[in-house]
Amino acid sequence: MKDRTTAHALIWRLPLLIWQGLFFVGPLLLMVAMSFWLVKNYRMTPDFIFDNWERMLTRGYFWDAYRVTLWRATLAAVLASLIAFPASFALAFKLSETARRWALFFLVVPFFTSYLVRVYAWQVLLAESGPINAVLGWVGLGPFTMLNSGVGAMVGYLTLVLPLVVILQTFSLAAIDRNLIEAAWNLGASPRRTLLRVILPSAKVGLIVGAVFAFILAFGDFVSPFYLGGSKPPTLSILIIDTTKSGQQWPRAAVVAVMMIGTLFAVAFAAVGAAYGRRK
Amino acid sequence: MTDTDPLVRFDGVRKSYGDFEAVKGIDLTIGRGEFVAIMGPSGCGKTTTLRMLAGLEAPSAGDITIGGKRMNDVPPHERDTPLVWQSLALFPFLNVKENVEFGLKMRGVSDTEAHGRAMLWLERMGLKGFEKRRVDELSGGQRQRVALARSLVTEPQMLLLDEPLSALDAHLVIRMQGVLTRLQRELGITFVYVTHSQSEAFAMADRVVIMGQGEIAQVGAPRDIFRAPRTRFVAEFVGRNNILPGAGGGEISVAADRMTVSDVAPGGTAIEAAFLSEEFAGTGIICYFEDASGRELKAQVSEAELERLSLEPGAKVWLSWPDEAAHPLEPKSIDE
Repeated sequence: MKDRTTAHALIWRLPLLIWQGLFFVGPLLLMVAMSFWLVKNYRMTPDFIFDNWERMLTRGYFWDAYRVTLWRATLAAVLASLIAFPASFALAFKLSETARRWALFFLVVPFFTSYLVRVYAWQVLLAESGPINAVLGWVGLGPFTMLNSGVGAMVGYLTLVLPLVVILQTFSLAAIDRNLIEAAWNLGASPRRTLLRVILPSAKVGLIVGAVFAFILAFGDFVSPFYLGGSKPPTLSILIIDTTKSGQQWPRAAVVAVMMIGTLFAVAFAAVGAAYGRRK
Repeated sequence: MTDTDPLVRFDGVRKSYGDFEAVKGIDLTIGRGEFVAIMGPSGCGKTTTLRMLAGLEAPSAGDITIGGKRMNDVPPHERDTPLVWQSLALFPFLNVKENVEFGLKMRGVSDTEAHGRAMLWLERMGLKGFEKRRVDELSGGQRQRVALARSLVTEPQMLLLDEPLSALDAHLVIRMQGVLTRLQRELGITFVYVTHSQSEAFAMADRVVIMGQGEIAQVGAPRDIFRAPRTRFVAEFVGRNNILPGAGGGEISVAADRMTVSDVAPGGTAIEAAFLSEEFAGTGIICYFEDASGRELKAQVSEAELERLSLEPGAKVWLSWPDEAAHPLEPKSIDE
């Protein structure tokens, strides 16, 4: 009887296991293996050498790109969380159930169009002679260089992550038991302290998950740093493209990719720990 | 102001939500150290009344004064009206002690003093040793006591309770009733207790306020309301009352325990009725009857009497009552 239940459970889980094996674990292992391969005369041969690792990790340009990527992803996560919060707060607490449903629907709409298309739109808007600089010009400001800079890349990252962060924050805020908020108020907490002492701790998981999603998406993104950030300074994703283009150096690109995945795992685990961890 | 002035005064207080009037102009005073229960069916406005007292709802009209001060525009966090929620509303992200300390810290009490006062209250509520527990690791009765400690630790002059016992098992309800009445006497503060349960209200309160459809139907000591319900609504809501046609054309109510059941027609006023069923209650046995017009009647009898009568369903008996047990009801009923 017990064997049958186990077998049954296994069968139902099988599609997911196969999917994970074929499209996640398999490629990941292949990529890790590839980082030890040899490239000779523009051809890869399976091997077990540490040259690729040594070459990448001892180069300043790798660590420069790593720092830029880490900094930008962190900034994108922080900015997205801060910009999203007032909107999420209003959606969760100031709107009726129906209005909130419509608002969340409109937050999903941006995902209907390709991210690349939205980034192209920003290229026009942010250009030196674009409409934003034109408007700023009328009030005597600018023109500012926004394209091909960190600012441009950040605008792109926020385009990518902001709707998602708002959705995640709104769900977690709307799920807070209203009695807890009233109880804090009733026990002498001003609205500001109620926000800090009750609302933020109650919505902690959703707020952290939102920030982590923003970090992960911005960390791996190549569209914004390429089309709006001007590839300079290069991020890790741009470094991967450059490396593969120059002399078929796929193994060196694999080193970069493994480093990125390792970083994301570390950040994700730390975030889960912070979100669900028991306090002392 | 003297100690004999009422602590709370409602003057023509109304609360409407759009077209719906939840509270239709109530006047009520609550004294210092009084245990008042506000009772009524769901939707009668009792919880809205309590929430207005805590400042969580603003009256649409009328005045609420606490300790002589008009409170209409004072926000909840500037009042001294802690409330015990039906759901308890303990903070799940804080442990037991931190929950109890919350109100003190919000009022600027130092960490050391807050710790000391919280520990005293935890000990008083029999929760010593539980201070580091998460609230979801506690039993229902323990959580209840944490909620009480959290509200009382700031030494308020009044405690508001919104059906705090409705989620507990029956045996715990009786125990918590004891805890609450003892606390209220020891502290000598005002308790305003909202409930739909007659047994809770009558067991604990000095004075019961019966509400129906946003109005106060009757205010009085439990015994007075039970013996002399003013209207048909109160008589029906309080239960165990028989509503009968009176001599002068109006209606009277007779409490079930004043009814006499006899198998032969007694002299004087009596109604012939058929036996329906019996129900064991704490103080005796309630027997249900039906008269020729289909009206349901109740009588409380002792076990010995029930045995002597040996009633079969459908058996015809006579119900009578002494004249002084009949209380005339006001013709206007609240649900008209």
